[in-house]
Amino acid sequence: MTIVWWQILLLTALAFWMIIDQITVGILCNYPLLIGFVAGIIMSDIKTGLVVGATLQLMVLGVGTYGGASMPDFMTGAIIGTAYAVMTGKGIDFAIGLAVPVGLLMVQLDVLARFINTFFLHRVDKHIAEGDTKNVARNIVYGVFPWGLSRAVPVFIMLIVGNNVVSKIVEWMPQWLSNGLNVAGGILPVVGIAILLRFLPTKKFIAYLIVGFIAAAYLKMPMLGVALLGLALAIMYYKQNDNSDNNKSQSQDDGGVENELGEYEN
Amino acid sequence: MNSANTKTKITKKDLFKANWRWLWSSQICWNYERMMSTGYLYTMLPTLKKLYPDDDDLIEMMKTHNQFFNTNAYVGGFIVGMDMAIEEKEGTKAKDTVAGLKTGLMGPFAGVGDTIVGVILPTIFGSIGAYMGLKGNPIGAIIWLLVNFAVLFLRFTLLPLGYAQGEKLIYAAGDKLNRITDAAILLGVTVVGALIPTVVSAKVPLVFQSGKVTLKAQSVLNQIMPSLVPVLLVALCYWLLGKKKMNSTRLIVCVLIGGIILGGFGILSK
Repeated sequence: MTIVWWQILLLTALAFWMIIDQITVGILCNYPLLIGFVAGIIMSDIKTGLVVGATLQLMVLGVGTYGGASMPDFMTGAIIGTAYAVMTGKGIDFAIGLAVPVGLLMVQLDVLARFINTFFLHRVDKHIAEGDTKNVARNIVYGVFPWGLSRAVPVFIMLIVGNNVVSKIVEWMPQWLSNGLNVAGGILPVVGIAILLRFLPTKKFIAYLIVGFIAAAYLKMPMLGVALLGLALAIMYYKQNDNSDNNKSQSQDDGGVENELGEYEN
Repeated sequence: MNSANTKTKITKKDLFKANWRWLWSSQICWNYERMMSTGYLYTMLPTLKKLYPDDDDLIEMMKTHNQFFNTNAYVGGFIVGMDMAIEEKEGTKAKDTVAGLKTGLMGPFAGVGDTIVGVILPTIFGSIGAYMGLKGNPIGAIIWLLVNFAVLFLRFTLLPLGYAQGEKLIYAAGDKLNRITDAAILLGVTVVGALIPTVVSAKVPLVFQSGKVTLKAQSVLNQIMPSLVPVLLVALCYWLLGKKKMNSTRLIVCVLIGGIILGGFGILSK
């Protein structure tokens, strides 16, 4: 199946919007699953979009963009992966094999966008000194363009020129590589899980990790059921610590705010 | 620094305006030098114009608000609300107080916001959504979208809350926030535990033959524990991430290449 011009335009618009969404309203946010879902709707193959997005989502579960760190851009990966999976009919594994390198390369453009915005910052400084509030506001809003274009331009180019290039790659790809990509797609979620476990105070809550594992691996409980089980445990935890915390806070001063960050590092 | 400016009142409309601006602009001009400074300034701009009719005061306060600031955008509105309340009362005299408040609170707020909104929510709903999505079922994704709309609605209440309650609430809620964060983490960890056997698919297809006895590697592994290979892979990656030169991007590359090699030789299969 080939891609038609309005699909290219919509996917490009999605690429522009998704990064703005991420830094503002947070509906699609930096979640490859949701981007893949929308890209699947645009390509009129929702299932492919969901599977591509879900696989990429699991790789970045615990990866955030905090303190200005860039994360692998698997949102762009989800768009490109979904589009090419539908175009070539080569399936999900091929899409993942394409989406991962694209996502990793796109990090550079995220860095570039954040860097370019420094230019607007200095123009804002200049206009503040002049007391020119109109231009202060205007230059802040200009920040939209480095953000949006850093995603939209590469997606547009890849969709326009990609048609021929990708079909060549598909012809060239040997069997062992597609087998390998298939396996890689299956185990890549471990990365996201491991990152999450590193970020969270896993040692403190290791018992709950095991409970979740038993529920799914031995009892074959569906994910929503596990989430409800976790919710019940969370409520119990909250209520139990209620009393002990009340006693503590009577003897101690409220220094709770300062301690919050430190506690995660235990 | 005349006293007239202290009589200007901040109305509900002003709060809404600031809330709206914070939503759209807090990170819009994010940059390496001062991160969210421009977003904060843009949010405060209408308030500043209202409170400081004098040009010199206005320039002074614009400078104050264009200094380094970085927090979690979802909960940062609370800080803006407190700031507005203080500046409304004290005017330019509060310059240092406000600067101190901003730098003092941005860290703790980032901690709570990044953990709950940035990690735990995506973990829970991303896991459910991806679990369903892998089977081509969009319901999980749709649930997640609805949750995000709910979060959007909730974050709109924070700025007025900060304006009305201010510092009092922060100190009172410190303990409670800690417990909520902990409970949320607990829920997240439980879901992650279930994620390992459900979404990681790796089997050992090797078959050993000695005489008439054939031994399928995977069925032996299954007798030890279901999903043993995924568990070992997660443990390996967890251990690797503890290494000094390892980061998430490198790990992804390693796993991708490792998967292709192991799959290519037929040692692992999906």
